[in-house]
This record gives sequence, C-alpha cells and structure tokens, in this order.
Amino acid sequence: MTNHWIDIRNSDRILIIGSNAAENHPISFRWITEAMSRGGKLINVDPRFTRTSSKADIYAPMRSGCDITFIGGMIRYILNDMQRLGPAGRTEKYNMTYVTQYTNAALIIDDAFEGASSSNHPGLFSGYTPKNGGGPGRLGGYDKSSWFYADKSTPASDPALVNNTWNTWEDLNPKCVLRLLWENFKVYDEAKVEEVTGCPKDTFLTVAETYAESGKTGRAGTIMYAMGTTQHTYGTQNIRGYAILQLLLANVGIAGGGINALRGTSNVQGSTDMALLWHILPGYLDVPTNTDQSLDDYIARAKKGKDFITPQGLAGDKTASWWWYNDDDPNYKKYIVSLLKAWWGNNATAANDFRFEYLPKVTAGDDYSHIAVFEAAAAGIVKGMMTWGQNPAVGGPDSEGERKALEKLDWLVVTDLFETETAAFWYRDGANHAAIDTEVFLLPAACSYEKQGSISNSGRWAQWRWKALDPIGQAKSDLEIIDELALKLKELYAGEGGVFSEAITNLFWDYREGAAEADPNVAAKEFNGYVWDTGEALTSFGNLKSDGSTCSGNWLYCGMYDADGNNKAKQHDPVDRSLNQIGLYSGWTWCWPINRRIIYNRASVDLDGQPWDEEHPVIQRTNGKWLGDVPDGGWPAINEAEPGSKFLPFIMLREGVGKLWGYGRAEGPVPVAYEPWESPLDKNLVTDVANDKTGRGAPGFNDPCCYVGELDMDGESWNKRGTPEEFPYVGTTYRLTEHWQAGQMTRNLPWLVELQPQPIAELDKDLAASKGIENGDIVEVSVARGAIQAVAIVTDRFQPLIIGGKKVHHIGVPWHWGYTGYSTGISPNGSSGNVLTPHVGDANTTIPEYKTFLCNIRKV
Amino acid sequence: MSGKAILYDATKCTACRACQVACKNWNELEAEKTVNWGSYENPKDLSTDTWLKIEFREVGSNGDLRWLFTRKACMHCTDAACVKVCPTGALFYRPDGLVSLDKGKCSGCGYCVEFCPFEIPRIDTAIGQVFGRAAKCTACTTPGLNRLDNGYAPACVKTCPTGALEYDDRYKLVSAAKAKVEELKAIGYGNANLYGEDLVGGTHVLYILDDTPEVYGLIPDPKVPATATAWQDVIKPLGYAAVGVVGLGLLLNIMVARARIISKEEK
Amino acid sequence: MQDVERFRKRAIFQHWWIVACSLLLGLTGLFLFLSWVSPAAWWGWSRLVHRIAAVGFVGIPVIYFLLNPKSTWEWLKEAFTWNTDDLGWLQAAPSYYFGGPEEDMPPQDRSNTGQKLWMLVAIVTGVVFVITGFIMWFFKGSAAPGVLQAMVLIHDIAFIAGGTMLLVHIALAAFHPRMSEAMRSMTTGKATVDYVKSHHGKWYERVTAEK
Repeated sequence: MTNHWIDIRNSDRILIIGSNAAENHPISFRWITEAMSRGGKLINVDPRFTRTSSKADIYAPMRSGCDITFIGGMIRYILNDMQRLGPAGRTEKYNMTYVTQYTNAALIIDDAFEGASSSNHPGLFSGYTPKNGGGPGRLGGYDKSSWFYADKSTPASDPALVNNTWNTWEDLNPKCVLRLLWENFKVYDEAKVEEVTGCPKDTFLTVAETYAESGKTGRAGTIMYAMGTTQHTYGTQNIRGYAILQLLLANVGIAGGGINALRGTSNVQGSTDMALLWHILPGYLDVPTNTDQSLDDYIARAKKGKDFITPQGLAGDKTASWWWYNDDDPNYKKYIVSLLKAWWGNNATAANDFRFEYLPKVTAGDDYSHIAVFEAAAAGIVKGMMTWGQNPAVGGPDSEGERKALEKLDWLVVTDLFETETAAFWYRDGANHAAIDTEVFLLPAACSYEKQGSISNSGRWAQWRWKALDPIGQAKSDLEIIDELALKLKELYAGEGGVFSEAITNLFWDYREGAAEADPNVAAKEFNGYVWDTGEALTSFGNLKSDGSTCSGNWLYCGMYDADGNNKAKQHDPVDRSLNQIGLYSGWTWCWPINRRIIYNRASVDLDGQPWDEEHPVIQRTNGKWLGDVPDGGWPAINEAEPGSKFLPFIMLREGVGKLWGYGRAEGPVPVAYEPWESPLDKNLVTDVANDKTGRGAPGFNDPCCYVGELDMDGESWNKRGTPEEFPYVGTTYRLTEHWQAGQMTRNLPWLVELQPQPIAELDKDLAASKGIENGDIVEVSVARGAIQAVAIVTDRFQPLIIGGKKVHHIGVPWHWGYTGYSTGISPNGSSGNVLTPHVGDANTTIPEYKTFLCNIRKV
Repeated sequence: MSGKAILYDATKCTACRACQVACKNWNELEAEKTVNWGSYENPKDLSTDTWLKIEFREVGSNGDLRWLFTRKACMHCTDAACVKVCPTGALFYRPDGLVSLDKGKCSGCGYCVEFCPFEIPRIDTAIGQVFGRAAKCTACTTPGLNRLDNGYAPACVKTCPTGALEYDDRYKLVSAAKAKVEELKAIGYGNANLYGEDLVGGTHVLYILDDTPEVYGLIPDPKVPATATAWQDVIKPLGYAAVGVVGLGLLLNIMVARARIISKEEK
Repeated sequence: MQDVERFRKRAIFQHWWIVACSLLLGLTGLFLFLSWVSPAAWWGWSRLVHRIAAVGFVGIPVIYFLLNPKSTWEWLKEAFTWNTDDLGWLQAAPSYYFGGPEEDMPPQDRSNTGQKLWMLVAIVTGVVFVITGFIMWFFKGSAAPGVLQAMVLIHDIAFIAGGTMLLVHIALAAFHPRMSEAMRSMTTGKATVDYVKSHHGKWYERVTAEK
C-alpha cells in the first residue's frame, strides 16, 4: 500500500474493485465504516454481489476480466471532463497543478510511437514481435524504444498544458502524454463500457461521477484492490489503470488516498520485502543474471535505463531517483554491498567483489516464476522442490496438471502445519503410486502463535509478534528449520566438498549467538543492519556504505532499530500524535521506509509546501521544517528551494513525477482492454481482433505478452484451452471469510468448518433454471482441464450480463478445498477450485489467471 | 432505563461471523456438524452449542438487491418470559438488567424454551438425553466464564471488526442509536428503526435497522405469552389459595369430627 | 367380628404402586412449583425421577387392565355411574363428616359418593397428566411453543385440582375417625361386617342377597 489501513478512514470516496474487503480483509471494514460515518461513499465493482457489496452505496456489476474497460471508462470520463470544462472549470473540479506539475502528463513522447488504436497493428503498440515456435512462454515481446520520451534525458513539456491555456485536444502536442492518454482511452465511453462489461450505462456513469468527485483539491479517493485485480493475464495493466486514475485525481501521496493493495496474507508484504520472489533480492534489488560477470557489471546493468531524467518546463527541476542518487557512489551500490556483507561477513571484501560471485544467477531472459517452475518440473528439468508454507496442489493454477508435475520430481520437502494435499499428492485419488518415485519429506512447522518474529502488513508496518505457547510434537519455527538446514549443509559441504561449495561454507551464519536455538531478534538486527566491526545498529539506510563497513540484510528495514539498539517494531504508542489526528500512529511499531507512513507524501502539498487538504495534512512546511509524517525527501518545498535543487515528489522514479505514461511494462505504456485467455467472445469488442479459439492465444485479442503454459507430460498437454462452444460460462474463483488460502489451517478447525462446511458453486437463477439446478443441489463444474463437484448456491447475487449483445453467465467457486484434512471436498480431487484455472500468467509478473476462465455446469 | 446493553448495528454488520466463533471460543462450546444447505448461513438453528448466529437474507432483485444480516441471540428482555417461568431460578435478572443462566440450577424442564417470545433458549431434546439443560447467550456472564463482572465486554462485542457491536450503558446506546436512526431516515431509509427500545419492557440487546423488523426476520411485536401470565400470576396463586383453604378446612373437619365422635363413644 | 373382603391383593398392590408413583411424581413436580424447594430440581435429577415414575404410573395400570379387563371395567363404570342417590349423600355429607348422627346418611354402595368423586378426579387428572406429560416429554422441541405452553398450564391445573382432592382423600382415608376401617381395608383388604353394613349398606345387601 502507498498508504495504510487506518488511513482509509480519511477517505471521501472508496473504490473497492478486484477485492471483497468485507469478507477477506474484515478488519479493513472498521476503517471503511468509519469513513462512511464521516460522509465517505463506498463504491464496489464486482461480477458478484458480495458481503462488501451489501454495504456499498453503489454496486456495479462487471464481467470478470473487464477491469481495464471499466477503469478505462472512468479515466475517459475524467479526461473528457478536463477537456470540455475548459481552463477555469477543470481547475475547479480537479487539481490541475498536481496533474501538470507532479505527473508526466505534460511530457512529450517519441514521435515514432503508435498507439493500440492504430490500424497498422490493432490492439498492439509500435514495436511488437510475436513469439516463434511452441512450448510454454510469452505470446510475444516488444521493442519499447518508441514508447520513451522524445528527449531521453530532458523531456520537453507542453506549455499549453502546463500553463492551462488549452481548450481542445488539438491544442496539445499530439505526442503529449495527456493527449496520448485521450487517444488510448477515448474508445471507453459508457456505451462501450456497457457492451464489454455488462454494467448498465447509468450505473457506470454514477460510479464515474461519484469517484471523480474525489479529484477536487481537498478531497481524497482511495482504491482498495486485491487478487481480483492482479490475477489476470493483464493484471499489472489493471493496476496501471488505477495509477493513472489516482494520479489524474491527485489522490497519490495524500491522506485517504493512494493505491492500496490488500495483501493476500498477513505477511506476504514481508515476504516480498524479503524477496521470496525469484526476480529480486531483499529490498526489491534486482536479481543478478548470468551476464553479470562482476559487481560493477551488475550495478551497471541495474542502472541501465534508469539514468536521471530531468523534465523541462515544470516548477520542479530535480529528480532524486533514489537508488541512483549520488552518481559516483550510488545508494544502490551501498545496499547491495551491505547485503553481501551480511551474507558472507568477513569473507566478503572489496578485493573479492564482496563475493558477488557467490550469488546465484538466473539466466537472462528466462522465467523462474511459479508457473515456469511447474513447467520445468513437468519437463523433468526441476528435480527437487521445497514447498514451504505453500500448498500448490490446491493453491497453484491447473491443480490436476501441477499435481501430475509433482510426480516427476525425485524429491519433495513440504514444510507445513498439517499433511497437506501437496504432501499427499502421491496417494491422491487416481494416482498410480507404484509408478511415482518421488521421495516426500514432511517437516512439521509451528504456527504463528508458536513463534516470535515480525509480520509486515499491507501498510508496510512491521509489527513484532511474541510467542504464546510452544509448538506441539516435533514442530519447529521456520527459522529453526532453516537454521538447522543451513548449518547441516555447511557441515556436509565442508566435510565432503562439492560443486561450488564455498558459496555455502563461507556463509556468515550465526543466528544463535551461543543459544540453543536460532533467535529471530538476531535476524532482525541483521536485516536492520549494523556497523560491521562494532555491531552498532544503524538507524537509517542513509548510513549504509559501499565500502564493506556496514551490513544490512534488507536496506528497506534499515532504520527499524533506534540509536539505543531497540527494535521499533516492538514499540506500542497508542496515541495518535499526527497533525489533525489523521491516524498515522507513527509510534506504533515501525514501517518502511524509515517509518514514513504515507509514501509520495511530497505530493500532498502544493509547490509552497502547504497541504492541499488543510483538514488532513500529511506533511506541512513551517519555519523551514517539515511537520507531520516523515517527508518523502526532507528537501525544502519546490518554490522555497534553490534552482537546480527543486526536488520533485516521486523520489524513486527517474523523472521524479508520477507516471501516467509507463514505458517499462511488458505489453504497453498504457492499458488496453484485452480478453482473458479463455474468453466467451468471438472478437475483442475494443480492439476488434478475433479470438483464435483453438490456438494458444491471439495477440491483440489476448494480452500480447502473457505467459501461456503447456504442462506437456506423457504425450499430452495438461493445460488444455476450452472453447466457448463447449464451455459457455465465465468461471471465477474467490475466497470466503471463513476459510483461508488452500485451507490447511481452516479446514482443520471445526468452528470454521461449521460455518462453511462444503465447497460451493454460485450461479444465477436464470442459468440454474435452464439446467434444472436447484439451490442446494450437488453440481459438477467442468473446464477443459478437469472438473469438480460442489453444492450449488442459486442466487440473485449473480445476474446474467449482456456482453456484445449476448447473455453471459458467471459461475463462482471458492478455491479453499482439497482432499486432506477434517473438511474435504465432494469430488475425490478435493473439489479444489484451481482444478478449473488455467496454467497461464500475467505478462509482467506471471501471476496466474485465477479469476477468469470458461466452464460448464450440470446437476449431478 | 438503567443497566447495560449490547447494540447491534445491522448497517455495519458484514456477516463475517467472528462473533459466532468468539462466542463458541469463550463459552467452550462444540462445533456442530453441518452441511451446506444452499446458503452461507450455518448452523441452521440455535442450539445448546450455538448461542449466537447470523442469519442471511437476500431481498429485492436486480438493481435493488439487498443482502441483509440479522443477529440472532438472546434479547435480554426487561420482562423476560423465561425468568418468569423458570422454576428453579436458573434464569435470573442481573442488576445490570441482563438475563443470565446458571446451568447448575437448571432442571431441564424446558419451560424457557417454550415461553420465550423470540424463541431463543434451546435444550437438548433427544429422547435419550437425560440431563439435558437449557442454554442461551448470557452476555458472557455465565458463572465461571464471566467477562462482564471482570471488566470486559462480551466476547462478540470485543471481536467485531467493524464496530457493529457495542457494549455500554443502555441509555447511552439508546441515545446514540436514535441519532443514527434519524441519520438513516434522512438519507432515504424511511423504515429505519431502533428495535428493542420498548419491547417486552425494553430489551438489553438493541438493533439499529434500516428497514422494518419483518424484513430482517425479527418478530415485530413480541410479548410475554398470555399463558405465562395466566400460569404464574393467576393460576399458581389460586392454587396456593385452594390448597390452603382445603388444607385448613380438612384440619378443622378432622378435629371437630374427632371431638364429636370420640365424645359420643365415651358416652 | 367377621371380616368382609373389600379389595383383592392385586388391587391393593396397584393402589400402593400408584401411591408411590404419585408421591414421586407429585414431589418432583412440587420442586418445580414451589421456588423454595426448587434446588432439589437442579441438574435434572428430579426430571429423571419424574419420568421414570411416570412410566410406572402409566405402565402398571395398563398391565393391570390387560390382565383384569373385567374388574377394571367394573371399577371404571362405578366411577362414572351417578344418580339421584348421590344427591342424598351430598345433602347428608356436611353433618355426617363433622360428626353428626350416622343414621342421617343414606345407605351407600361399594364406594360412597365422595369416594366416587375422588375416583373420578383421580382418573380425569391422571389422564390429563399423562396426555400433557407425554406431549411435554416426547414433543419437546418439535411441537409448536403455543401447544407446549398450553400443556404446561393444563398439567399445572390438574396438579392443583388433583392435589387438593388428594388431601381430602388422605385426610378422610387415613385420619377421619368415622372412616375407621378405610386404611385397614387398603392394607389387609378386609373390613369388619359392621363397618361394611353401616358405611356401604347398599353394597352389603346386594352381595349377601346374591349369596
């Protein structure tokens, strides 16, 4: 989140889209409820009327997978307003100073750029090359050079926009970002929104106008989103849409605003911070590739394409681009060297490149994400696997395919609280376990109440948790297991040698410091970082050095400790000491970066450093000092600063301004409404490109860079693609309040199983009547990849939608069920919702497309 | 009116059922074996193991669909029919107005189950159930598991994430609730009302509703049954009187008869 | 003095069996009626006893009837046979029972009017107890609350009516000086000829005439 949970109460307009916050983030509703009691309005967009919808002021139905059209419609509404209202009107309704000064709205893009509405390449941008050959992988890729600013280091801006003298779009430079935005989004008028998404025009317009009201200076709108947004082949572009919307409405950096991801589990923020994702190192540093022959190579590659850009013609004239600040000794280098020092200790010196050689390298251009790993397992490339607190047999897409892929492994280690479906894959119904050679180990793990440590929530708050009771039986905390594993590996490598054993034997590994067991406090201090020789804890990442004198396991967490060596994640000041009590609670635990609660907060003030919203000030410049939250860069306000030092507010970005135009994403600088991999349509109603129903995806109909898996095993693909003729209904998966993730914990808790005892399939009354299905009947939901049985819930909370003139029905299935535990599914495969989902992923992150696919249904 | 109360604001409830689980957790109640009968709602009814549940209702249709959630548990009446008919005093009024239940005194007669106008208390009715005793929400005042007298709010109130449940002095909650009802009316919920303000003498569990009680599945005009009043306030006193009169009369009769007959025999 | 058989052994057994059951039923019922004895009902023990006694209360008479249908039927007929003679008893009763002259009481049959009245009350309240009790036991939780409320009320009314009448029965049968042989007739089954002649003259005449 750019903001945090409590801050939601400061919001005037709350848009919950791609999220069912009431059911899956119940505590968030405390703050939403408070915002509403203060006059805030709640808008909810969802294919299904949920418990969140029941509390919303406005509910808008939308076909699953059409977020870009819907949000695109809202963006078009605002852009249209900005143009038609004229100079005075647009300043009255929106914060044009913010839009022109704090975003790249006015900057000029390369002349060679061609948008997706160009007839040369419908649905695609300039620079596209489709994939050659078969096998799993992306449908194609882009040469993005034409997407960049015309002037690569000092992009020009359009004075008509900056000075607010323009009246028609033609008054603006044709390659001015705001005009290019209009060209891209103008197709999404309310008629198109209704045609594509099924949302009635009037409802959509009410949503658009109500949310646009948050654009007024002094008003705040927040977008709360979750997996409904991200789990699509174009999920990243969905979020880009929110960024565009929020920047146009001046909602980023202010109280009650922001782009707020509701993280899917209590510590997934912590897990991504600590780089439990393949493409990063802790603190979101780049993962090294096989082309990085040295530390300098690596740093040069990380910096490539991140040189400073100084926008011209704006009030601000300096960008921080924080990682690359200090050209001769960039912060990035300080962070990576401190990380290497933490990992290899005294063995890492300037002379040996701080043991950069020991870091594992990925092959440049390859993908090591969840889907790719399972593709590799299916192909016999991955031989062994550790699934740690993860249950891919239920949580991964295309469950039958992934369960089959597990059979190809030589060994599997499962660390979990219960014997999960993953651990039991080899004797699941239908498995020929005589033919399965996988050696399976089950390491019993402690649950969160049985161990100590920090949990980082969606708001980036690292909150320390204490141990309430000892784990049962032989269960251990994850830290203990990893510690014992690492020490044993070191011992074995030291004794027996092996390929590249020094990387392990030379690890600086001491989390016990003389005690019998590893202590999370030792790990916490290492993440925070300290002066290597003295052990003195560092109080800011500003104190990290690139000469090996400091160590830090994660630069983002540097500053968690105070000057007295106390871990601020443990502090509990319950008093709201923020300006006007906007709820920052800066003394309650600690958040990154350096306890800054609302990031990009320099955008919450005008050019003189005064808050746009006097009632909810985040920071305020007074007598040469900043009051309030930790400012996002302590430099003076733009108008106060010397020329050449007028720092722009978006300090992590090269150009210092928010990116309405995002040239770095895989499939485009701005979102285009693509269809899901399995779509009910013959033709994309926005791009006009046809659906290749029997192929593996058509660029322009589908996301042109999405990842399409194959899962070829034993002569057939386990990622078959369904056609609308065989599977006419739009399927979607989601969660229930009462169960959690793959169900290992909740399906073993009788009080929760009592509430939601069985898997369900929700469908509308019209579809049910046509299939002879009554409420409570057992039904089978099928896709090209498999089928599950569930209890039918026939309800008005799904309604048939008219899409492009034809009636489209949804069927919704929670994904919590499996075949092990106290509560199992109805069909032998556990009635796992992910039996239905395809092995395809987002173009940028390869997050699986769990939220839309084609299915059929019948009464059993 | 004095005493404490629980206020349930149906407009804030998201039916997460944390209250349901917190109640079971605190009162050490077993989970029931359920099936999905075509709804998110479970268990289907209150029982001796389920003292609190949330009901789900879908009303209206496309365009004006509403999904309404109703708390179902003891209303803690000021004029409680269950206390009136309980023969052993297992059900009793606390000084703060809440109706508590001391299971150790329950005789298993089941009168509370039969006379409650809200149909709340439950008893184990299986034929083989010999020592089945009544159970209902005690607002966490069950002897041995008493939160209120130890300065804590009831478990359901403490757990509720949205603040749909509050526990405070009744008069404060009534005042706040009435203000909220006016706000609801002002934004178009013409049927908004405060349920329980005056019913059965005033209940110590109050509901803020944005529509009529009937729409939420609540009994609009609950009353202490006439049979309870007839039984406890008329017939029982008459019974005492009858036995008293007859008993005395018989005593008199025997004494007089003895005197006269024995004296006759002596003669 | 010679004895007349008033009650057979089996009738005596049934009587005292009913007495025992009724005592248990009445006492355990009283625990729910009078609040100051209600602690005896805690935990549900008294409910268990009440139900066991109820089974006995119903069971033995049913078995008795099956084994002795004719005499049971005669007894029932007796309880329900009322005529103008009974009015005579009613008129003489106040004086008679307060120790007035015996001769003023018209001759009575096997059971005098008062005893017949008791039999009636016992039968009617017994049936009411059983029906209402059965519903309260086996339909607890399934019958409509209104029905169960009515059952409790009627069960209680029967308790009051039956209870007060029982006091009369016990007082007259065990303690009234004029009913001197009543207790003996229900323990040994016999009463003296003189007693029978004076208290149940009509019956004595009929039985000796048959001989």
